[in-house]
Amino acid sequence: MKIERRRIYILPTRFGLMLVALLVAMLVAGLNYNSNLALAFAFFMVSMVLVAMHHCHRNLLGLTVDVKVEVDAFAGADAIFYFMLRNESAVDRRDIEVRLGTVEAMQSVATGSYEEVMLAVSVANRGVSRWSQFELRTTYPFGWFRAWTYVHSPLTAFVAPSPHGSRPLPAAAAAVGESARSESRGDEDFAGLRSYSPGIPLKHMAWKTLARGGEAAVRVYSDLGTRPEWLEWSSLDGLDTEARLSQLCRWIAECESGHPRPYGLRLPETDIPPGRGAAHRSRCQRALASHGIPAP
Amino acid sequence: MKLAAPSATQVTYTQLRWVCVCLALALAVHAASLPLWLLATVAAAAAIRLALSARGYAAPSRPIRTLIALASILILFLQLRTFNGVAAGSALLSLVAGLKLLETQSRRDLYVVSLIIYFLCLAALLRSESFWLLAYLLAVSWLTTATLLRFSHSMQPPDWRRSARYAGRISAQALPLALVLWLFFPRFDAPLWRTPSDGRSAETGLSDSMSPGDITQLALSDDIAFRVHFDGPTPPAAERYWRGPVLHDFDGRTWRRTVAFRNAVPGLLAMGPDYHYVLSLEPHQHNWIFALDWPDGWNLGDAYLTSDYMLVRPALLSRPIDVSVSSHTRVQAAEPLSDVMRRRDTRLPAERNPRTSQLALELRRAHPKDLDYVNAVLDLFRRQPFFYTLEPPPLGLNSVDEFLFDTRRGFCGHYASAFATLMRAAGIPARVVTGYHGGTYNRFADYWIVGQSDAHAWDEVWLEGRGWVRFDPTSAVAPGRVEAGLEGSLTASSHLAGRWQRLSWLSDARLRLDALRQLWRERILGFDQRSQNQLLTSIGIPEPDGQKVAMVMGVGLTLVFVWLTWQIRREQRPDPKDPVVRAYDKLCRKLAAAGLARRPYEGAESFAARVAIERPDLGAPVGALCRRYSRLRYGASRRPAAARWFVARVRAFKPRRAARERTNPG
Repeated sequence: MKIERRRIYILPTRFGLMLVALLVAMLVAGLNYNSNLALAFAFFMVSMVLVAMHHCHRNLLGLTVDVKVEVDAFAGADAIFYFMLRNESAVDRRDIEVRLGTVEAMQSVATGSYEEVMLAVSVANRGVSRWSQFELRTTYPFGWFRAWTYVHSPLTAFVAPSPHGSRPLPAAAAAVGESARSESRGDEDFAGLRSYSPGIPLKHMAWKTLARGGEAAVRVYSDLGTRPEWLEWSSLDGLDTEARLSQLCRWIAECESGHPRPYGLRLPETDIPPGRGAAHRSRCQRALASHGIPAP
Repeated sequence: MKLAAPSATQVTYTQLRWVCVCLALALAVHAASLPLWLLATVAAAAAIRLALSARGYAAPSRPIRTLIALASILILFLQLRTFNGVAAGSALLSLVAGLKLLETQSRRDLYVVSLIIYFLCLAALLRSESFWLLAYLLAVSWLTTATLLRFSHSMQPPDWRRSARYAGRISAQALPLALVLWLFFPRFDAPLWRTPSDGRSAETGLSDSMSPGDITQLALSDDIAFRVHFDGPTPPAAERYWRGPVLHDFDGRTWRRTVAFRNAVPGLLAMGPDYHYVLSLEPHQHNWIFALDWPDGWNLGDAYLTSDYMLVRPALLSRPIDVSVSSHTRVQAAEPLSDVMRRRDTRLPAERNPRTSQLALELRRAHPKDLDYVNAVLDLFRRQPFFYTLEPPPLGLNSVDEFLFDTRRGFCGHYASAFATLMRAAGIPARVVTGYHGGTYNRFADYWIVGQSDAHAWDEVWLEGRGWVRFDPTSAVAPGRVEAGLEGSLTASSHLAGRWQRLSWLSDARLRLDALRQLWRERILGFDQRSQNQLLTSIGIPEPDGQKVAMVMGVGLTLVFVWLTWQIRREQRPDPKDPVVRAYDKLCRKLAAAGLARRPYEGAESFAARVAIERPDLGAPVGALCRRYSRLRYGASRRPAAARWFVARVRAFKPRRAARERTNPG
């Protein structure tokens, strides 16, 4: 969105206030000594400050800023917002500060160009963090004035629980049980490797990979890879809400890692049909983040 | 991309160095009036701080800084006894700037130093009013602004050329605004409050006493006392006597003006024509105005005429001023001489100059009529071997005796003093008038330059029935002096000859330069309420007053602001006529029609990358066009042929709609 003239506020900084006091002193001195040259210099300074105010205002005026308003994050880590600043004017815009909450970052945008500003807001708890607006500010060119504007664009960070938990994937557990029943499994069923997680029987370990210095992995078979995995809230009895969500989040990560396979998510109030890929993962994680949190 | 918080405000060596340069440039104009130790202190503070910074150390610790600051400010106060006034104030500011430099840690300290630099520039203009100084100080402030631009950048500062250009652009945009403010901002005739006069220029010119040799020194001076422009006729050279201090009290060696004569002015009957002229007086730290003998009208409200016809004002002339005066060169007394005045102007010290008194008695016996006696004395100067020289022998306490009978060499002061003594010794009221005589005409700008070398002393004698009559005994000795000025009468005898010849060789150039200086003075330095009103009248506003001036200022400011806003808005959008931008917009519209809208945050190349993924069939042509667009738009060179090629290719580009919608998995 484009920064409108009426939305830009401007006030002198502390340095600017000192400067204003200096200008008053200059004018008084010039008038008192009735010196036309001193007055000329004082008026020159006054005018320069007024022009600088215009330039400070101009530094924001007409700037276009776009932001992806919904981002995903994990509790205890950062929610990262990318702000795209585009400068279509014929002059450079320098020292544009983007501020969200208490986090800020600065960027200059050359004429006719665009720049991306990254803001990492740390989020401690699972849930949905919302900001109704963010701020753009600048003290360019001399630090005499600060111009700022609030961009009323609601920003949301879906803070998924941090992935924790030691329970194996339900299907993996089932598959392990199945493979225990039929020992004779042809090589043609072998579908690949996925990273080891505790709870999987040691006989599925890909020892050769481990011996070669690779990470601990388990062999998976083709029927394991294609059958959708159902990650169910109800299967995690004995854990409290946050621990259940953390375990589900970990399962999502496991399903997406290595050779991804389809998975669905069943929460008490939500059912997400199986799928895979970044969009699906994001959908599932958002469901976890907003579990038990009323929509705004 | 930069994540660092902008609080990295630590001062770098480069920033410090440039601020030191600006401060040095601003201090340079004050150097002459600052105590030497102060300059040394500031220089040492800057050098220490720079050396520390170059080695990566912080500023000296607080107790040391406080000690240095307190000690130096105390010393300064003990030396100056005041911090009031321009000289003392600038000294204090310079010191504070140096001390601030010493403790500079963060950017905010540099901000403070930059403010001091700006104020030092202004303070210099309170003390001198030369055009070159203004130009120099504007340059210094421009450099300071450029420096400020560099260190107020939170990110990578632009290179020097760019910041200098940007500071210059802001300064240039400020000029029209400054001009409107300067032209129409209300001016006050009287200062808001009095400040101690701190000798903005050294005392030059005549003083209120005259000893032998005083005027001789002035004759050696190259300075200008005042300039005169006559409206209408110019009086002949023999009548151009510019009246300065009138001296009444004589102690045998020195003539003094000890009493202020602020009582009723004896009336005069004008005889000759009336002359109107404008005096542009240089500051001389006294309160008199050198009007042509005898002034009868002037446009300074607070100026008045003393009873011995000196034009004075209550305040000292510590700044250049312009006065319009009208004078009659020939007058007659309308009232008899008061007894007080008669007693004062016939008094002589009893024990001094006995030989002169003797001579006067002898002459007076031969010439009982006053006028005859005066002529006899003038005749004496003419007949006897009196010489006219700039290097008269030194005289003692009986200066008139020694001059009249022994040395017989002197300058105008010697002759005026001897003449007045001879008059008083004969009982005729007489007084010495000092001032200027003559002047040099500047044919390039129609005004007269009266220099200190035109300083002169003459006498006024009271003749019954006529009043005070001017006699110039010096002209009896060297008549050329009165007609041609000092240069003419000294060519043969003095070591000054070479200097004056050199000056006359330069004089055309000098006169032209002086004409410019006078223009500067009249138009710029002398700009005041009257000039504002004249300006308003000239733009067609009748009967201007303060309110109308303020209204015109409002209108002017509005116009300038509109212009400024327009200037800035113009830069807001890219040139709409740029064919490359228009072609690119067209390309985006075509792709949008094909189902590939560019997202607002996508630059040309990232858009092309997405197109290549979503529509592999369009990837190659769109990629080529977008790359070309980036190069045309942001690249260094813009060949018109390449731009035309781009426009043509965009026109020819026809994307097919996608054959089938891609479905998302899942």
